[in-house]
Amino acid sequence: MRWTAQVVLAGLVGGAGCYQGVPGSADDDGTFGTGSADDGSGSTGEPAELCADPSTDTSPLRRLTRSQYDNTVRDLLGITGNPSAQLAPDEKVGAFYSNASAPVTELLAEQYMRTAEDLAEQAVSNMATLVPCDPLLDEATCGAQFVDTFGLRAFRRPLTVDERAAIIGLFELGRADEGFAGGFTLAVEAFLESPQFLYHLEFGTPNDGADVVALEPYEVASRLSYFLWDSMPDDALLQAAGSGELATAEQLRAQAERMIDDPRAAEAIASFHLQWLKLDRLPQLEKNAEVYPGFTPELREAMAAETTRFADHVIRADDGRLETLLTAPYSFLDGPLFGLYGVDVPVDHDPSEPVDLDPTQRAGLLTQASVLATHAHADQSSPVHRGVLVREHLLCEPLAPPPPDIDLVPPALDPTESTRERFEQHRSDPACAGCHNLIDPLGFGFEHYDGMGAYRLVEAGKPIDASGEVVGGDAPDTTFDGAIELGQMLADSEQVRTCVAQQWFVYGFGRTRGEGDDCSFDAMYTAFAASDYDIRELLVAMVTTDSFRHRRIERGP
Amino acid sequence: MPLLPLLESEAAEGDLPKRIILLCSANGTVHEQWKPAADGNTLTTLSPVLAPLEAHKQDLVVLDGLGWQYGDGPGVDHMRICMLWNGTPMLEGNEFQNNTGDRPCGWGGGISVDQRIAAHVGSSTPFGSLEFGVQNGGAHIYSRVSYADVNQPIPPEDDPYAMFDRLFAEFGQTEAELTLLRARRKSVIDVVKGNLDAVQRKVAAVDRVKIEAHLEAVRRIEQRLDTTAVCEVPMLGAQIDPDANDNFPLVSRLQIDLMVLALACDLTRVASLLWARAGSNVRYTWLGLDTEHHTIAHGSDEPARSQIVQINTWHAGELAYLLDALDAVPEGDGTMLDNTLVVWGNELADGWNHSQQPTPLVLAGGAGGQLVGGRYLDFGGARHNRMLVSLCNLMGLDDVTSFGTLDDGSGPLDGLV
Repeated sequence: MRWTAQVVLAGLVGGAGCYQGVPGSADDDGTFGTGSADDGSGSTGEPAELCADPSTDTSPLRRLTRSQYDNTVRDLLGITGNPSAQLAPDEKVGAFYSNASAPVTELLAEQYMRTAEDLAEQAVSNMATLVPCDPLLDEATCGAQFVDTFGLRAFRRPLTVDERAAIIGLFELGRADEGFAGGFTLAVEAFLESPQFLYHLEFGTPNDGADVVALEPYEVASRLSYFLWDSMPDDALLQAAGSGELATAEQLRAQAERMIDDPRAAEAIASFHLQWLKLDRLPQLEKNAEVYPGFTPELREAMAAETTRFADHVIRADDGRLETLLTAPYSFLDGPLFGLYGVDVPVDHDPSEPVDLDPTQRAGLLTQASVLATHAHADQSSPVHRGVLVREHLLCEPLAPPPPDIDLVPPALDPTESTRERFEQHRSDPACAGCHNLIDPLGFGFEHYDGMGAYRLVEAGKPIDASGEVVGGDAPDTTFDGAIELGQMLADSEQVRTCVAQQWFVYGFGRTRGEGDDCSFDAMYTAFAASDYDIRELLVAMVTTDSFRHRRIERGP
Repeated sequence: MPLLPLLESEAAEGDLPKRIILLCSANGTVHEQWKPAADGNTLTTLSPVLAPLEAHKQDLVVLDGLGWQYGDGPGVDHMRICMLWNGTPMLEGNEFQNNTGDRPCGWGGGISVDQRIAAHVGSSTPFGSLEFGVQNGGAHIYSRVSYADVNQPIPPEDDPYAMFDRLFAEFGQTEAELTLLRARRKSVIDVVKGNLDAVQRKVAAVDRVKIEAHLEAVRRIEQRLDTTAVCEVPMLGAQIDPDANDNFPLVSRLQIDLMVLALACDLTRVASLLWARAGSNVRYTWLGLDTEHHTIAHGSDEPARSQIVQINTWHAGELAYLLDALDAVPEGDGTMLDNTLVVWGNELADGWNHSQQPTPLVLAGGAGGQLVGGRYLDFGGARHNRMLVSLCNLMGLDDVTSFGTLDDGSGPLDGLV
């Protein structure tokens, strides 16, 4: 159990101010904060009867993230691309994007306006598919029909009488000036700039002043779609909401299974893994061109594609298990990534088909070049960055940033010394050792991979030493040799499994976990464990929990 | 080499507008390499860091001995960047972690000085204020220095092309096109306001402030539709990737050019610029520095200390470029620089130990003939809140006697004016 591990760990290490058990953090450099003060324990030991009444924690009002905005625009208007690039960046909760705190400013409101205007203009070319009737027969009637059908999808629930009247009025205004298309664009702009589109609005069903209330069916539909698709509900979900078919755990389970089978689930899986592994900065990653001349934009793109294809394949096509994610000796290569991995391009290569890799060199997510290159310096590898990733994001033990008065300049390159030798100071200097004993013995395990992620046997004329230790880990023997063994050790660790469940919780809810979520977390973790740690079962179980189907009403002062 | 053709002044004779520009750079400086030589309060020889400002020595007032070092309160170190302009500790909260594990914090705890001034001088221009950025990265306590109010961080626009569209997209249009566009926007905004209003009445009390802020933002855009500005639309040149590390200096110049244009056109009178963010990890490769800025700042000896001086000197060069550009716009009997107040600050005093006293602060420009340059003033450890009061006073907010909550005294800086 993780609680135990944490206590032992803190006692063992004693690094002043190093281990950081701060609840609910948000650091957009990716530092992960546990959701509740009593950490991410898989089992809280709550007797089952305590979980009889629905319980959950408070959900702050959130706005769509950039990727949710893009995916929603794609599904709503049929416009692909990256319109949210025009929007101010997202906030984070833990490792994951979630606009849960700062309000909309003038700049952002203006960006929403301009983006909506651009999209409405583009949408005119899709008008035939978006408008459910022939405007030539009766423009006013057809306009109202459009407002109804489009409104249901844009606001993710049927329009109220007032909303409908206001937007039809706007449509008529635009139609008077510029014909049907003029009315159409004005209506689309208003939909896209409205809070019912931009926010995850959840009110729940009023229930005699109870603090925890069931969500409305349409609110459940949106939670499902943004969790599993990173996008708006489809027609089937909206219909199910309208006909009361999102009421039982069985119905939710069936929807979740259908949705995971849908290609849109790849979007959510990609979002989760890129953020969990702190790869969101990979598109901007640069390397020292003298040391790594092969690090091109094409290689960068192939790296990101590898990880998203791999995660999607494991979860939706292979056995879905966490162990497979962390140990599978296959992956998805394209373009210059073949060269980096030293693999011959197969005849008739299809980038969407898995390629077998040398199992002594590559196994699972953590040995992928995306992870290794991102968590490295511009001119060398970084045992520290790689160790921090594992410690914080796979073991869910947030570390404090280095304190002031500590020299952070990495040891200079030296042709006669290996990276490991140059970084040894961390552990020999008592001022550093407290934290770096938690970090470096993990990070040294990746020393077979250079700063770009290429495999190496020798550095500075010396054979690579990739032996390491999961200090405070829960295996009988916490030592390992190389990232392949480390991946297996992490896959077998209760702490890692709990951490991954915890990460999905934060991702899915866009908020930290609170005490009120303990019963729900227990339930989803139990299902995860019962399936031999199948991520699909974890996700399906999550949508049937009380936390997913309810909200806590925050009584204002 | 300005990337944009600067305009002839558009300002009318007579009552010339006063403007303020706030600049913030990251990771502290090396005080003894920043501090200029002075004879009493008279600047004599500029320091290595300030050397690029030699031509503007008579426009400068160097402020030493000010800061916001304090022991208590939420958040520490780099998280305190917002205090530079608001002089107020961050909110209690757990959004952002600190490095001791016991003092996390939320967003900033009060309005920033630029926004306070904008509320006073910004109503007559299309934009109350403009927030420029250079590679600020994601939304974080590290990357927000302007606050509309407590817990209301304002994101800088760090894409000069988006800023260009924001400022000038409408200028290419005919009067008829513009009239139609404004009418359409007003109609849409009417409906959006109605929807925000309806939602505001339904959301939980804790969330109501978010919708109220959104509503206020939309109202401001609506008001802007009634204002007009006459301006020559500049050319921005070939598009570059504003997020690419090595484009940092180009983006800095583009943003400064746009800022000067926006002020010259009287699109706004309040502007700010944030270079990168607190704890910036920009690599100053154009100075031959391959290591991340924050990492260098934590280097205790050579060559790291010299490199920090190099970085700060580069930023002083950017300030010099801004002052040159302001000085190139004739206005009244002088130039726009005479009517502008420029402030350059840093999130820290020294990045090595995360100290926030004495932070490097430089004022420049005449502020409408009120500020006498060529001076060095040492306030010996006073709160910089006094400077924030002075900025308000210089911008015509005469009744402001205190700013922010950190200062337990009140009043402006002694001897500044």
